[in-house]
Amino acid sequence: MISMRHVSKTYPNGTHALYDVSFQVQKGEFVFVVGSSGAGKSTLLKLITCEEKPDGGELSVNGEDLVAIKRREVPYLRRTLGMVFQDFRLIPTMNVFENVAFAMRIVGASRREIRKRVPYMLGLVDLLDKQKSYPAELSGGEQQRVGLARALVNNPDLILADEPTGNIDPALSFEIVDLLSEINLRGTTVVMVTHEHNLVKHFHKRIVEIHEGRIVADTNGLEANEA
Amino acid sequence: MRSLGYLIKEGLRNVWVNRTMTIASIAVLMSCLLLTGAAGLFSLNVNRAMGTLEGNNSIRVYVRQDVSSLDALRIGDEIRKLDNVESCEFVSKDEGMDEMRELLGEENASLLDGLEGDDNWLPDSFRISMKDLSQYDETAREIQAIDGVDSIYDYSDLANQLTRIDNIVTRVGLVIVIALSVVSLFIIANTIRVAMLSRRLEISIMKSVGATNGFIRVPFIVEGIVLGLVAGLVSSLLLDFIYYRVIDALGIDMLFRVINIHHYLLPMVLAFMLVGALFGALGGAISIGRFLKREGGAVVGW
Repeated sequence: MISMRHVSKTYPNGTHALYDVSFQVQKGEFVFVVGSSGAGKSTLLKLITCEEKPDGGELSVNGEDLVAIKRREVPYLRRTLGMVFQDFRLIPTMNVFENVAFAMRIVGASRREIRKRVPYMLGLVDLLDKQKSYPAELSGGEQQRVGLARALVNNPDLILADEPTGNIDPALSFEIVDLLSEINLRGTTVVMVTHEHNLVKHFHKRIVEIHEGRIVADTNGLEANEA
Repeated sequence: MRSLGYLIKEGLRNVWVNRTMTIASIAVLMSCLLLTGAAGLFSLNVNRAMGTLEGNNSIRVYVRQDVSSLDALRIGDEIRKLDNVESCEFVSKDEGMDEMRELLGEENASLLDGLEGDDNWLPDSFRISMKDLSQYDETAREIQAIDGVDSIYDYSDLANQLTRIDNIVTRVGLVIVIALSVVSLFIIANTIRVAMLSRRLEISIMKSVGATNGFIRVPFIVEGIVLGLVAGLVSSLLLDFIYYRVIDALGIDMLFRVINIHHYLLPMVLAFMLVGALFGALGGAISIGRFLKREGGAVVGW
């Protein structure tokens, strides 16, 4: 799903974000990426979503070579990815249904497909009864569930979540990760960036730890708990 | 294609969300179109007027009222004898009346009803052209000296003046129109930029789910086109309205037959709207192009 070999990234302002990073994510995996802020987690996501290009090394996502990819091919790569943001990124002037439908419209889905698919997704995140509500009327947890539904609605192969629980009541954070696990069990690969250690400990998943631009640990959840 | 309706709707929403800037850019684009139209109409009318003024270097010689047509013909022979006269064409009083009708146009020709035949007060005349215009003064004196000649009218002066005014108006108009075009493009581009900034979030979401740049562009280009269409429609109708007000106020239609733009109203409105839409689309394209380039792929913004 994701294959990174000896990838480095330095920004034009001289910041060294990643040094010689190599790691693979197989299809169907669930990976936590942890590290303090400024460790290079965001850069990792930017590289995977083709927002930045690596300076050196090899990088492929969903079989697409991101070093050689052409600009106009990027949108089509992104259609195979679902992105979940820390700040939810819901459009305040659209209700829940519209927010999810928006993602389908952009890839040219028909009205009929939208009417069928959006309620199904909202059912999955248990928000069917709130589909007419506006983001401001929802709790943080509910908003992020809408964000999840939107990320999933176009049936991506890979979900990338950047601190999805960062703006949510800690008690409800588990609920979001539970949902992500459930989605993962249905076959979607999940990469979740977080710095909440208690969350990572609770779910026994693979953990990739980044520190100052390098991968310093890559363990499955059981080993991490034992350590 | 399916989403075209949706994209157009979004473009219209931009127009509304962005009211103040929208009105400003419509106003500037309108003044640009109005001035272009006004300069164009002025020029067309000047050309029409000159055509009516019997060419550039012809002179009209009027015979005294009390001279009979037979005597008038004899005067013509004397004029032809002059060295500098190239041609001399007799214009009878009846022909003069027909010319006058032509000059006044259909609407006003009825003023001349009842002044035909024996009641025709026009004198006989000659249409003369000279070989060498530099000897104009001398030749004119010689003609004036012939017995029975009443007066000489020289249209060349007027024609030259009209040409000069037309040239000035065209040149000044062109400069103003170019300046205003640049200004209106700039303002349209900025208006659409405001719409774009207010929709940053939407654009970032669009990018994150894989919208192509072309798709993201459409609503903003639609916005530009809508601005242009409105500006084109309003300014062409306004031009039509102002045109007839000015003509009435100045009484120009009594001097010669002005171009009746009512006959060309529909093509004119469509042409203005087309030009407006092109400008709007261009402004939108410039704006969104710069935005997408500057923000690059980074619009997703993790």
